[in-house]
Amino acid sequence: MEKLLVTTGIDKHFGGIQACKGVDITVAEGEIVGLIGPNGAGKTTLFNLITGFEKPDAGRIEFAGFDITGMRPDQLNRLGIGRTFQMLKPFPRMTVEENVMVGALIRHGKVGLARERARHCIDLVGLEHKREALGRELSTGQRKRLEMARAMATEPRLLLLDEITGGVDQPSIGGLIQLVGRLRDEGTTLLVIEHNMRVIMELAEKVVFLHLGAKMAEGKPNTVANHPDVMKLYLGSHHA
Amino acid sequence: MWVVVAGLATLIVYPLVFDMPFHQHIVIVSLLYGTLGTAWNILGGYTGQVSIGHGVYYGVGAYTAAYFFTVHDLSPWLTWPIAMALAALTAFAIGMPTFRLRGHYFVLASVFIAESAYIIVSNWEAVGAGIGLEYPIHKSENFSQALWVAQFHQSKLPYYYAILALFLASLFVSWRIQFMPLGYYLKAVREEQDAAQSLGVDVRRYKMVALLISVFFTCLCGIFYAQYVLYVEPFSTVSLIISVEIAFIAVLGGIGTLWGPVLGAFVIIPTTEFLRVYFSGHMALDQSALADGGVWAYIEYYLAGGGGNVDLMFYGLLIMLIARFQPNGVLGFFRKIV
Repeated sequence: MEKLLVTTGIDKHFGGIQACKGVDITVAEGEIVGLIGPNGAGKTTLFNLITGFEKPDAGRIEFAGFDITGMRPDQLNRLGIGRTFQMLKPFPRMTVEENVMVGALIRHGKVGLARERARHCIDLVGLEHKREALGRELSTGQRKRLEMARAMATEPRLLLLDEITGGVDQPSIGGLIQLVGRLRDEGTTLLVIEHNMRVIMELAEKVVFLHLGAKMAEGKPNTVANHPDVMKLYLGSHHA
Repeated sequence: MWVVVAGLATLIVYPLVFDMPFHQHIVIVSLLYGTLGTAWNILGGYTGQVSIGHGVYYGVGAYTAAYFFTVHDLSPWLTWPIAMALAALTAFAIGMPTFRLRGHYFVLASVFIAESAYIIVSNWEAVGAGIGLEYPIHKSENFSQALWVAQFHQSKLPYYYAILALFLASLFVSWRIQFMPLGYYLKAVREEQDAAQSLGVDVRRYKMVALLISVFFTCLCGIFYAQYVLYVEPFSTVSLIISVEIAFIAVLGGIGTLWGPVLGAFVIIPTTEFLRVYFSGHMALDQSALADGGVWAYIEYYLAGGGGNVDLMFYGLLIMLIARFQPNGVLGFFRKIV
């Protein structure tokens, strides 16, 4: 498989805190890669670096063979990198449809076409009954779906999902897993931050485990889950 | 829809029915501020970049027209592109650094820039410093001559219909933007900048687009003002008070809405103009008349405080009332009762 995203030796610190230490990850076209690790491991920082919201102190990020290090988020989106935010950022005083249309307009440029495309994405995430609701009127779970619909509307080649199941009720998680699987089947490559191991085990072809800003393990979900360092961190030292 | 048609018809017929200069003047100023508020609202309301510095662009328009007419005897029809270019350059110079700032920091930066501009203009000898520029009165023999120098001394009608046209143009743009991709991008920038950027919206570019549209009309208003009053000085063009007034029109009327700035202008301007005229009339009283008038004459006299401050007190009162009872602006109040 062709490598879609490659990061090499990414360093990032905030003051005295080293958020990323020489992180190398590779995401191949068409696969789902899970990014796991305890709170503060640097997962979201890595997302921010890949999507241009932060600039790395050192290292290089390549997307589809191009060096994209230091580019702006909007430029990266136009190249085909979409994302959702862990700290949800809906447009509060715009309707769900308008929220998603903003993403669709970048690709389609015409309001009518963008509305059609937006409705399709809203249907996919199961928010069709909330199309006319304002962003601020949605529950946390609905906001997560809105984040997804919006990012999907930009038709990304690589989609970065930041904890889409956090705060979502258990019955809905199955639907989200299906949706992510479907996106992959339609050709989207996904890099997914998840705390919910069910999601990772069911979906991911590969898992990257981060701890204190460094990559500690990488491989098949089962291999990583049974890695001694991972067990120690998640389950306590006596299990290792 | 019918309200709009009726409103438009009223505005067209109004000066033909009310032929007193003062009555026409009030609507001219209301239309001027309606345009300024509408232009401001495209940046401050739709895009959420609250600028308390639009007096700068208003001043660039007014001063450019006045400077070239008084010093070089050039008609504003020739110099308006220069005013526009200067206003656009100013917008770039101010926008590029300040659009990096978010929220309150942007507001503060706009205030500082406006105040600096006021100090510069007030001390700039070439444009008359604190005294300003007074137009030479041009006696025209016919209408086309008057039109060329854009000075009309017999009738306010040409001014009236010129500002009405500008007002309608700004309103049309403000209305149309809402249904264009641009309108969606501007609102996305206002609502959540990071999310907009993650969806491919070039945030700084669209802030600049909004500013330029806003500045286009603000600058034209400045040119109109100069030609209307035929006297340009710092206080009534680039001062902080003017910048604040422009923003108030939109904020008090209903920020981010199409009709808010219009409503704001037509509520505030007539009221303040009446207050100003009424109270400044008492300023002519000499001290003996004041004594004869008793306590009330004194109260009125001090209320006027120099002839032009009652309108500012009225602004203050209005802000308090709106903030307390109608935080979404006067438009919200009308929506409730309709």
